[in-house]
Amino acid sequence: MIYLLLITPALTLVLIVFGFPIVRYSWLSLHSYSVLTGLDVIPNTAANWVRLLNDDRFWQDAIQTIRFSTLSVSIELVLAIAIALILHQKIKRRGLVRALSLLPWALPTTIMALGWRWIFNTPYGPLENILNTIGVGTFNFLGDPRYAWLTTVIADVWKTTPFIALLLLAGLQSIPKDLYEAFKLEGGNSNQSFLRITLPLLEPYIILSLLFRIAQAFGVFDLIQVMTGGGPAGTTESLGLYAYLNAMRFLDFGYSATVMLASFILLVFYCLMLWILLSISKRIYELII
Amino acid sequence: MNNNIIKKVSIKVFRNLLLIFLVIGGLSKSKAYTPIVIDILMPAPFIDSTKERVDSFNKENYGKIKIRTTRGPRQTESVSDLAISSLLLGKSDFDILLIDVTWLAKYSEAGWLIPLDEFIDDKEWSLLERGAILGNSYKNIPYRWPLLADIGLLYFRKDLINKVPETPEELLSTSVKLINEGVVSYGYVWQGRQYEGLSCFFLEALHAFGGGWIDSQGKVLLGTKPSIKAASWASRLIESGASPRSVTNFTETEALQAFEQGEAAFMRNWPYAWAELNKDNSPVKGKVGVTTMVAESNGRSVSTLGSWGFSILSSSNNKDLAYKAIKYLTSVQSQRHYFLNFGYTPTYKSLYKDKELRSNSEILPILQQALNRTEERPKTAIYAQISEVLQKQLSSILTKQITPKEGMNLAKSKTLKIIESAGSI
Repeated sequence: MIYLLLITPALTLVLIVFGFPIVRYSWLSLHSYSVLTGLDVIPNTAANWVRLLNDDRFWQDAIQTIRFSTLSVSIELVLAIAIALILHQKIKRRGLVRALSLLPWALPTTIMALGWRWIFNTPYGPLENILNTIGVGTFNFLGDPRYAWLTTVIADVWKTTPFIALLLLAGLQSIPKDLYEAFKLEGGNSNQSFLRITLPLLEPYIILSLLFRIAQAFGVFDLIQVMTGGGPAGTTESLGLYAYLNAMRFLDFGYSATVMLASFILLVFYCLMLWILLSISKRIYELII
Repeated sequence: MNNNIIKKVSIKVFRNLLLIFLVIGGLSKSKAYTPIVIDILMPAPFIDSTKERVDSFNKENYGKIKIRTTRGPRQTESVSDLAISSLLLGKSDFDILLIDVTWLAKYSEAGWLIPLDEFIDDKEWSLLERGAILGNSYKNIPYRWPLLADIGLLYFRKDLINKVPETPEELLSTSVKLINEGVVSYGYVWQGRQYEGLSCFFLEALHAFGGGWIDSQGKVLLGTKPSIKAASWASRLIESGASPRSVTNFTETEALQAFEQGEAAFMRNWPYAWAELNKDNSPVKGKVGVTTMVAESNGRSVSTLGSWGFSILSSSNNKDLAYKAIKYLTSVQSQRHYFLNFGYTPTYKSLYKDKELRSNSEILPILQQALNRTEERPKTAIYAQISEVLQKQLSSILTKQITPKEGMNLAKSKTLKIIESAGSI
């Protein structure tokens, strides 16, 4: 019985921090609560949800959010593994290099987003200038729907790769060295040791960082708000930004809660799909290796 | 013995009475020196420009009323976020908000502002320029008293052109001509990013072609012929090269930057740009002219109304004193100070006749002219939604995702849908 008592404080905290908002949002999403109701809360059965299903802006934003999260987290993961492996080596001034590599992660998002907005700015941005000088031509990075969302991916990758790298570095350090030594004695080379020891033992850390990052990328707001404001042609608008607009600009808190909750459901669904995909690819991986 | 007791008692009584007098005296004295504080939230730039007037108000009312200003963020919408967060808590920290013209409808609808008609009569309103009176009422009830007027203007390089363009087509062709001659890299710069500035730019274009956004009866005029013409003109500005492709990510800042560097021949911007362009280190100092917006012969040259003003919050405990503070900060004397030092467009008619101001600024007559041609954005509590729809469709048109006709029709149907689900406009 004592264990129940011991987990009570932690459980209470989790309930307050996670449980309460979800319950509150679920309740709000079944009510009209906006400037048009004079900020009174009026039950409206499922009107918000019907509106959501017919709201093409919501679906467009959902697709954009999934596209943004998938691409940025994939790139981050690959880069982070490479960076973690480098930081794990016995290089000169390793402590300094490790600290420096964390710098992007330590910067506030709005500040670094302003920086990237400046870099991608046309016609005065440095990138545009370099591309012009070497004769590649003019891109309208932030003003062209084809590129604008990719610039936000680049900014996101730059900022959060160090975070995953740090998690993976912790994972690498937990792998016993004798495994590699034994593998070497048996005549394995370093490629094989990476595929047969490092990756499989790093798996829990990879899963953990994937979960962290996907949840974070799904709720992306400040980066988009600062870099593009959702434009051009609404192509970079994320669900987080849409929920914010509904609450703070349109003063429609009922619908904003519905959007938030729907994006939470989408996130759960996305993670479920990812889990299935990962299990399948793990099987295949084990078969090949 | 008895005498002694009486002596002791009387000394005690005397001492206590003295103490009581002292305490009462101290209390009343401290009351006289504890002023009632009036809290105002303003965007950062306004804190600096009103500082001198706030200080002089506090000096004049020393010990009685004290204005305390809170420095909000620089960005317009971030100030609104801050204000709303405090208003949602029920009891706001502020007595007065400095609000943008587009927030008025939703703030009043939410019941956050008090009507000002008990303070201000018609005679006082009649002292203001027409364009300064607009934008302060919602459903015919005044909720705001203006600090400054703000209107869209067309800036041009008077050293580069002989004749100021009067129609949209002339503006386009002159821009293309100047680029082809190699005089400038960009012709006409404006606000093409997907944000509120794009709606302001487009409202002027709509009227220039004889159309409108939403008329006074609440009819949506998007999707009509003039609106499609206006959208195709905006799109052709980019196609023809009259405006750079990157204009689709321009806000006021980028437009001003390009124009100030002498790279553009024309710019749409607000009056604040004038002071920037004529600073001593400006490369185009003395080479800039200002005029009202271009329009087709069957259209109307209008300027989108910007403008900031003070509103009193319903939760304020000192509404009368708050009003007193507002009147002081917006008085003729204050406006003269703002105009001479910061270039703020005055609201009072009398200032446009003021000899000193006129000799100080060549653009005063043009500001007055533009103020008389100013057009408000739709006044509704759902304005933000409606404007977002327009911005997104325009951005799609400008970046060639859809044709002007498709875009305007979509904007119309989506606007109607929003109005329908809101019940009314």
